[in-house]
Amino acid sequence: MIEENLSIWSLIANASLLVQGVMAILFIASVMSWVMIIQRGLYLRSAQRGFREFEDAFWSGVDLASLYTELTQKAKQQGGTDGIENVFRSGFREFNRLTQGDKADPDAVMEGADRAMRVALSREDEKLNISLPFLASVASVSPYIGLFGTVWGIMNSFRGLAMVQQATLATVAPGISEALIATAMGLFAAIPAVIAYNRYAALVEMTNSNYETFAEEFSSILHRQVHAH
Amino acid sequence: MRNSLSYSVAILLSLVLHIALVGALFVNWQPETERVMMQPQYIEAKLVELAPKKKTPAPKLKSKPKAPPKKPRVDLAKKKREEKKRLAKVAAQKKAAEKKRLEEERLKKAEQERQEQQRQEAERQRKESEFAEALAAEQALVNAREDEQAANSYRQLIQQRLSENWSRPPSARLGMETLIRIRLVPTGRVVGVTVLKSSGDSAFDRSVEQAALKAEQFVELQAMDPALFEKRFRQVDVAFSPEDLRL
Repeated sequence: MIEENLSIWSLIANASLLVQGVMAILFIASVMSWVMIIQRGLYLRSAQRGFREFEDAFWSGVDLASLYTELTQKAKQQGGTDGIENVFRSGFREFNRLTQGDKADPDAVMEGADRAMRVALSREDEKLNISLPFLASVASVSPYIGLFGTVWGIMNSFRGLAMVQQATLATVAPGISEALIATAMGLFAAIPAVIAYNRYAALVEMTNSNYETFAEEFSSILHRQVHAH
Repeated sequence: MRNSLSYSVAILLSLVLHIALVGALFVNWQPETERVMMQPQYIEAKLVELAPKKKTPAPKLKSKPKAPPKKPRVDLAKKKREEKKRLAKVAAQKKAAEKKRLEEERLKKAEQERQEQQRQEAERQRKESEFAEALAAEQALVNAREDEQAANSYRQLIQQRLSENWSRPPSARLGMETLIRIRLVPTGRVVGVTVLKSSGDSAFDRSVEQAALKAEQFVELQAMDPALFEKRFRQVDVAFSPEDLRL
């Protein structure tokens, strides 16, 4: 029997072009999904942390106007704010603008502030959800892509088998082995993506509901203010 | 700004992760090179026939013709004395002759007996040596057969090693056969390879030659009987033909 070098590299190098293409796609998908996983992880963590910090600051009894100016300064420095701070700033800005004229209708003020906060909320929701669909598609599609590569590789290797007179295991085994690498790569790309997608979807939902709860609470504070006049 | 920072961190981490994974595969993924070769176990039964030809001894007994006794002529002449004298002389002569004849006969008989004995002895020895010869021949045959078997198993081993070390040239096809002569030293080391009969495809011939050179040493040959090595494996001719090719 011919001594075959069965290292994974020679298997990949000897694979057919299509299987190599499949492997390349899966590798790129894996790299990209890991980029998303890490980036989203960092972003969601910082969003959660930002929310906690802001809530602490908000409920510490600080004056809302000074909190607002502080946040505006921070936004100027860092080129924008994130998450819950945006909700607060847009709501408070709208509230201030509407209460500037003395003859402001309380209901109209509340409605305006609420709308501004709703808009900010949906912006934040969008930001939180960026690239989660990509993770979902990698998670669901890459096993199929890998399977396709495997089926194609095994098909070729059996076709080769048909040409051989003495069919030994050694004639098909390398082909099947090289084909199975595609499935392995598909699973390798898919599994982290599935885990990350599930985890991040839950986190996004939690953060969103946190934001909404805060928006309601803030709205009730503004409501008290506008009706106290 | 914070976003782009976190993206670059993520890209960096992801690339590092994948490169590390690829590197780990590159370093660690080697298939187990040890292959267990199962040698077929067989018991060989031989029918050894030790039956030398039995030679029937054929002692030839020669019957010796006896000389007819001479009849003295009795002449009744006038001179009785003379006659008597002559008669007595003749009788004495006759007696002496008779005696001599008897003696001669006895000697002859003894000689004959001795010869007969000698002949029988020679016959016995001849038979014995014949038997020994037959035995030796039988033994030699058995030895030769055993040698043949050992040589075949070693030859098979060499062939197997060749095909392990053979790298298939693109032009190799089923049915090609190259006869090469490998020269070996008793340590099993290959000291020379020549192509005796080309397959017609020089690339294939070269690949077979290379396979023999690559095998370098057939360590198993060290266990071989030195006499057998000298007789058959100083130079060994091996016919190589590819087995499972896809074409």
